[in-house]
Amino acid sequence: MRREPPVSLSRRAMLGSLAALPLAAMLGGCRSGTSKLSARKPTLEVWAHAGQVGERRTLVRLADSFNAGRRRFAVHLTLLPEGAYNGQLQAAALAGQLPDVFEFDGPYTADYAWMGQLQPLDELLPATLREDLLPSILSQGTYNKRLYAVGQYDSGLGLFARRDRLTAIGASLPTSPGDAWTVEHFEDLLARLAAATGNRPPLDLKLNYRGEWFTYGFAPALWSAGGGLVSRDTRPPHAGGVLDGSKSTAAMRHIQRWTAAGRVDPNLDDAAFTTGRVALSWVGHWEYPRYRQAVGRDLALLPLPDFGEGARTGEGSWTWGISAGCRHPEAAAEFLRYLLQTSNVLAMSGANGAPPATRSAVARSPLYAQDGPLRLYIEQLAEGYALPRPRTPAYPAITSAFQQAFHAVRDGAKVPETLHRAATLIDRDIADNKGYPNREAVRG
Amino acid sequence: MKRTPGKSARTALTDNATGWLMMLPALAGLTVFVVAPFVLALGMSLTHLRMGSPLGAQFVGFEQYLRLLQDASFQRALINNALFALGVVPVQTLLALGLALALNRPLRGVAVFRTLFFMPVVFPMSLVAVVWILIYAPGPNGLLNGVLGALTLHHWQPRDFLHDPHLALPAIMLTSIWQGAGFQMVILLAGLQEIPRERYEAAAVDGAGPWQRFLHITLPGLRNPLIFVVIVTSILSFRVFDQVRIMTQGGPLDATTTVVYQAVQSAFDRAQAGRGAAMAVVFFVIVLAITLIQRRLLRTEREVR
Repeated sequence: MRREPPVSLSRRAMLGSLAALPLAAMLGGCRSGTSKLSARKPTLEVWAHAGQVGERRTLVRLADSFNAGRRRFAVHLTLLPEGAYNGQLQAAALAGQLPDVFEFDGPYTADYAWMGQLQPLDELLPATLREDLLPSILSQGTYNKRLYAVGQYDSGLGLFARRDRLTAIGASLPTSPGDAWTVEHFEDLLARLAAATGNRPPLDLKLNYRGEWFTYGFAPALWSAGGGLVSRDTRPPHAGGVLDGSKSTAAMRHIQRWTAAGRVDPNLDDAAFTTGRVALSWVGHWEYPRYRQAVGRDLALLPLPDFGEGARTGEGSWTWGISAGCRHPEAAAEFLRYLLQTSNVLAMSGANGAPPATRSAVARSPLYAQDGPLRLYIEQLAEGYALPRPRTPAYPAITSAFQQAFHAVRDGAKVPETLHRAATLIDRDIADNKGYPNREAVRG
Repeated sequence: MKRTPGKSARTALTDNATGWLMMLPALAGLTVFVVAPFVLALGMSLTHLRMGSPLGAQFVGFEQYLRLLQDASFQRALINNALFALGVVPVQTLLALGLALALNRPLRGVAVFRTLFFMPVVFPMSLVAVVWILIYAPGPNGLLNGVLGALTLHHWQPRDFLHDPHLALPAIMLTSIWQGAGFQMVILLAGLQEIPRERYEAAAVDGAGPWQRFLHITLPGLRNPLIFVVIVTSILSFRVFDQVRIMTQGGPLDATTTVVYQAVQSAFDRAQAGRGAAMAVVFFVIVLAITLIQRRLLRTEREVR
């Protein structure tokens, strides 16, 4: 329940109420039905993004079953469309109208924490629960040495492959992230796959996706080459010399080579892999149910290629936080603890196919336990192959600049100039915000 | 009843007050939703304000504007907007005029054609954009590539329209013209029906041919609707955003980026409210200038007449 100094408060309140007017009108129509709340019970407002059908239904069911238990508080769940979700949260934050508990995309943790919109969870969640969480979930939720967010699930990135196509050209499939193909070998396989199908593109990079996918999906290529988006160890981070450094440049050149050589299917119909046009699909865990149904037992999950310093992959997904303005943080934490109960984590993982966030749920998951078909994702998360996207309030500027650079490289722009421009944009944003100092330092 | 001068002045005064009172709701709406945000934007554009930042807004003078002037992408956005307007305004207006003339005849089934040509206007731009992405699909099986291939007996080399730096902007212009022409057509159609038939009859009696009738009766009669259509199309073509956001995201290589697209990207994707506000102010100045110039040009013409 931190408050701003009075001057900036009135200014922001004014801006905020303007921003909130259309928002309030929009929200009117979107309340989802978790009805049957007893009138006298105090309620916590909870906002979440309306994800895939199964995800959405599971969340509504979890909120209902939470309310059915005899507790002092009830939750009132509001689902908002995913496309505009972050924008609506930002508007609500400016207006000081954030709900008690809200879901947000993991890489924005630092942003919300820096803006002072989140309460630290360290004292609100029991140590046993924090120790049960996967290290990637903890690192995603931590900013400035405090835990601000916990998710029910993480994510996995890799290559889905049609096994028969690869064995037909004599390729051997890597079985662990440690023996990933080198990028040169990968390019050779792409050429052989293309030759086997009359020069049709053999690879799907989900170029039909929008926005965050490109940072999530392709920053690992830079990391694997030894480069990255911004420096990891400096405060504040800088992009100059990292994003436009020789290693990141080399990684982006590989990707440009694939698109320029016609190795990548544009995938406008999102069916390149399911209809068998391509043999390899560079994508996240969420495609497993659809791909498995289309390909059956022939479906293989492989690590991304190694660009020089070992395979790397992305991590992180939607996560939950308690707003700074929430007046009943213990009750809100009770709801988060409920979401993180093993059976509820498994229910969500079963609905959306994502890697469960707790070790106890992983052990009981049919997809992710030892010998499960998606075990590779857990190995990547647990054995240091997965890296979080930069944990800094500059993330919105970083991801926007990188996405733009990715598209330019795909369209044939010169790689060094493109990356240099993106790095300059990022570093200028960081400088404009005085290196994003801690709130404590700001308030002096 | 006799009216004294004093009394009529008083009536004027109450009339005036009533006038203001009746304008109040509209004025209040304009102030809250247009004037106040614009004044705020002006203020914000002189800062590095980042949305939600605990640092608050620091005054930086005209720094944001200087950066915009030096920014290659923003310059490209201005040029694209100008190209878009130069291409779309004449083509769309001529097309709408042609459609209106064609459909202003007492033919059977004309209502069906009017509905068909007006239909794209009713579709939301986001839907139109998604459909046109499929029309522009790359490869020989893409809809447009396929049609061009068939028409040219397979001499056409399939293109990736939305990822070709020379074709992406024209592609977006074509989509916009297709979507917008119906609206102008309806306005011009209404204008055509206002022109008294007697004029045409009199001209025919005087021996004027169809071309002369068009030049000396139809065009002058359509003067006001045409001015309206040209001004509105110009402003709308500077506002182009949805098609860009959905079809190309400003690419390839900034070939389709626009001022509004960049402003939205700055303010909402990167939380750089100060930069976004500066772009909005530049946009406002351009639209204001165009409107003033157009009104001035068209008005002097009328006085000469």
